[in-house]
This record gives sequence, C-alpha cells and structure tokens, in this order.
Amino acid sequence: MKDLIFFIKRIFLKRWILVLGMLLIIFLANYLTFTASRSLISTYQGNQENKILDQDGLFISNLDPDVEQNFDAITIEETQKVYDYLESHYEYAIDTYGFVADIPNTEDMEVSVRYINEQAYDLRDIKLSEGKQITFQDLNTVKPVLIGAGLAKEYPVGSVIEMIDPVTHQPTKLKVNGILEKNASRSNIYALNSKNYLNYSIYSPIDEEFIKQSSLDLHVNALNDLILLNSSEKEVNHLKDLIQSTTGLTFNFFSQKENDKFFKDYYMNGLQIISMLTLICFIIATGLAIWNTLISIRLMIKDFTVHLLVGLSYPRLRSILYQYFGIVFFISFSLLTIFVSVNRYSAWYRKDAIFATLGILKLIGMDWMALIIVLLIDMIMGIFIVEFMMRKIKKIPISLGVLT
Amino acid sequence: MKELIQLNIRHKLFNKGTLSILNNFQLSVLSGDKIAVMGESGVGKTSLLNILGLIDSDYEGEYTLFQDEAKSLTSKQRAVIRNKNIGFVLQENSLIDSLSIEENIKLPLLYTNEPNKKEIEEHFQLITHKMDIEPLLAKKPLECSGGQRSRAAIARAILMKPDIILADEPTASLDEKNKLRVLELLDDINENYGSTIITVTHDRSVADHHDRIIEMERED
Repeated sequence: MKDLIFFIKRIFLKRWILVLGMLLIIFLANYLTFTASRSLISTYQGNQENKILDQDGLFISNLDPDVEQNFDAITIEETQKVYDYLESHYEYAIDTYGFVADIPNTEDMEVSVRYINEQAYDLRDIKLSEGKQITFQDLNTVKPVLIGAGLAKEYPVGSVIEMIDPVTHQPTKLKVNGILEKNASRSNIYALNSKNYLNYSIYSPIDEEFIKQSSLDLHVNALNDLILLNSSEKEVNHLKDLIQSTTGLTFNFFSQKENDKFFKDYYMNGLQIISMLTLICFIIATGLAIWNTLISIRLMIKDFTVHLLVGLSYPRLRSILYQYFGIVFFISFSLLTIFVSVNRYSAWYRKDAIFATLGILKLIGMDWMALIIVLLIDMIMGIFIVEFMMRKIKKIPISLGVLT
Repeated sequence: MKELIQLNIRHKLFNKGTLSILNNFQLSVLSGDKIAVMGESGVGKTSLLNILGLIDSDYEGEYTLFQDEAKSLTSKQRAVIRNKNIGFVLQENSLIDSLSIEENIKLPLLYTNEPNKKEIEEHFQLITHKMDIEPLLAKKPLECSGGQRSRAAIARAILMKPDIILADEPTASLDEKNKLRVLELLDDINENYGSTIITVTHDRSVADHHDRIIEMERED
C-alpha cells in the first residue's frame, strides 16, 4: 500500500496534467459508451413494449406533418361528431397524456393525468405493484384510478383523491385502485428510445360519457394518439376523410409495421450512425489514452527504472499500475454516475412528472445496465492500457532508461 | 573469501539475433573483490551489469549468484535481491528529480521487508554524515551539484549494506576532485562493508583504483 501511495503522490501526480488528461479521456469514452448503451437498451425496451401493437387491423393515427393544420378553427361540436361516429362504427383505443392536475404531494410535483379507455387498457399490459386493476363499469361517481409509485405513500390503495379534472374542469373524486410498478413507463411509438415515466401520473379511465363532457384539448389530443382496432384499410380511409371534412385536420393512419419501418428507416438509421460514431470516438479515446500512456512512460521511465533497481518487481509494478488505473477508472465511473444522477434529479428540480424517476440516486434499471456495460468496457480498457504499459516498460533497458 | 558470482555466458543476442555479444564470457567474483570492466562502446559492458544485477535474464548461459542459478529465480525473488544485496551506482543523473535527496536515498526502504528498519535508519544517519550529504537532504537533485548528486546516488546504493555494488560509469560527468571523492567512497565501502565492487568505466585512472581490470573486446 505504501508503494502505491508513493507512486500516486510522488510519481503520477507530479505530472498531474497527464493524470487529468487521462481522466478526461476515460470520462469521454465512458460517457459515449453509456449514452449509446442506454439508448440501445431503451430502444429494445420500447420495441418489446410496442410489439403488442403489431396486430392485423390495428392502425395508429398520426397528424400529417406535411399539412399545415389549423387548430384554432376547430370547435368541440366538430370533434364530438368525430367521437360519435367513432363510437358507433369503430373499435378504438385512447391512451392520451399531457394534462396536469393540481394534486398535493410532498414533492410538489405536477401530477400528470393519462386518460385511457377500456380498449386501450385491455391492449396494454399494465403491471401493478399493489392493488387491483381498474374496471370501466361505473365512472360517474368515484372513479377508480391507478397511480404512479411516487404518489403511493400519500395516496395508498383505497384512498380518495379530490381534484379539479383538467379536461372537464369539474371537481372529481378518484379512488386509488392500484399502484403502478416503480418507474413504470410508456415508450413513444415513433421514437422507441424515448419514454414518459408514470411515477407521478394517474391513469384515469374514460368512456363515451366522459369524452362528451371533456374539453377540446382532450378531443384533439386523443385523436393524435388514436388507435383503431379490428379495422380495414377502407374503414380507416373513411375515418380519415371524415375527420378532415369535419375538423379540417389531416391524419395519417399507419400500422405498427409501417411505424417500425419508419423507425428503422429514419430513427434506427440515425441510431446506427450514432453507434458507429460512438465506436469511432471510443477507439479515438482509447488511442488518446494509449498516446497519453506512452507520454507518461516516456516522462516517467527514469522514475520507474530507479524503482526497479532498488527493489520494485515487475509483478509489483503491474499490481501498482492496476490499482492506480483502477482508481482513475473508478473516479471517471463515479463522475459519470454522478452526472447521470444529476441529470435524473434535474427532472425533480423542474417538477417535471413525466421524467421523474425513482431509485437509488434516481437511477433506473437501464441506467444501471448501461453503467455495468461501461464498467465491463472500463475493465477491458484498463487491462489493455496496463498490459501495454508493462510491455513498453519491460522493453526498455533499465540503465539506458535512467540515462535518457 | 567465498565465491559470490560465477558467470558463464555463451552469448547474448541483440537486434533479433543479428548481433551477438558477451560470446563465451566467463567471470568469477569473490566476496570483497574490486573489479573494473573496460572496453569500447557496444562491447556489452552495460549488458554485463544488467545480467549481474538480475535485470536481464535473456541470455544463453549460466549465472550463479549466492549459490543460486539466476534464471531459476522468480521476478519477485530477483527484486528482493536487488533491494537487499545489490546496490546500483549509476551516473549522477540517476536520482529522481521530483524527490528530495533524502527521499531518493531512502527509496529502497519502500520495497524492503527488513524488520530492523531502525538499524537502517541509523545507517542512513551514519552514511549521510560521513558522505557530507546532511545539509542536502531537503534539497531536490537539481538544486545540487554533480558531485553532490553522485554522493547521494552512492548513499542510496549502500543504504541496505549490499554485498555487491554495480557501478556504471559512476564518475563520467564529474570533475577530477569529485571523481576522486567518489572513488574514495567506493574504496571505503569495499573496506568497511566488505562489499564487492564491479565498476564499468571508460576511464583508465578509475579502472586503476580496482584490484582487477577486465578488458572486453569486440569479436569481429
């Protein structure tokens, strides 16, 4: 231990700029690896989650990005006509979000209400940590709801939440039927690596009656996320025309296969480019780390040599180098963990319910998985650097090393 | 006097086997010997010291040190012998610039398992006093003269009271006065500690201070 401390204090830190340089390079390599790994894990999770949408006769609406839409001209009477038609002719699923309710909680978080109808609820496999799934029978008096894990302490199963409903603007009583799993999330259909977290959300069931009482916001929002079930191309096109003629809004309806194709064509392509760039950056970072190591050896060769002459052995030197780089990698890894954690905490500072996560340091499963990947790559990189260093040191004739 | 070193080298290869040095080189050294090794550059003097100092084991032949075959020693065992039994005196720039003179001299203590560190500390006091290094202990090598640095390098080499001192051009960059002082110190170590001294030098006057001179020649 004393030789390790001596090496760190009296040899490595004497060239602190090299240590700092190495630390920055390793941090850069770690950050790139982490970002790419987490993005891939998140994409995989999103893909798994949305596989359920890959069904015959299922079409998902999407506001046509190529058409200029005039939302100001839409009236609630028009949108209601669309919902009346939907109700009588189609099987449709609504799972819409973006509505903020004023529900007191210790974290003072803005609570997000997600409105879901029975078809969407049946489509999704919503997992609970406590309580029971909701039913859609009687939604008129006290509505049964599911709440995020972040609200569970204040609103346990069976408790009643009173709020002004953000879409009907009426006082509403919600009965907590179940608690969602910690860090439950919903992935974006078009960007599978993007997620909304439900820790401070409420799943509120809706039916035809509720839609009738709702504001225009819900009507338009729900059309954006509308899913048609057991429909034909003809029915879909008919609805598309109806919405356009009634509200003036132009929607496209795609199957999940088509959405996947879009994802693969655009997003996945981008992701592959990012992954390639990450790999290239990682190789450059590793190259820089080796270059830095070579400079270190050149500058410290006299020190190493003198130590070898007075009793340091190569196995001991290897052990010291492993411990030293272990410390450097640990610092970099800790900085990365802190960085990711601060990033997660920022959602809490912003009181942003959609991105607020729960867990140690607010890190969630995919963060830890990506950190483990970073750790494994660090180990490989560390072994490579130390063995490379040892090879270089061993190649240098000792007495010559001292003299240069 | 007992035999310390028995060296019988068939050859040492360099440049991927295209250059062979120390061909059929034999050397027998007794405890307390004072030997100078001379020869032109490239003849293998420093290579010989590297082999004797257990730094290099990549050669054809046998090397018996303290009754043990050097090649059978592990890297750790070789390091322990270098720490306890061999002192290296190199040119005056063999001190680590970032360490003080005291830290440089005490460097072998970092790797010793010697239980009696108090005795070594007393020895440190004695040699630094005797070699007139005491006023320099807190200084960095670059704050000292060439002669002072040479004395500090010798102090480091003898701190552990080694059986063998291997000196590689110890006076190469010193003026006449300091050269004589270094040679006196090596004589003193030889007499008082009974250390065997093997010095590589180009300087005939330095070689003449030794009991035996080995002239190495290149084989064409």
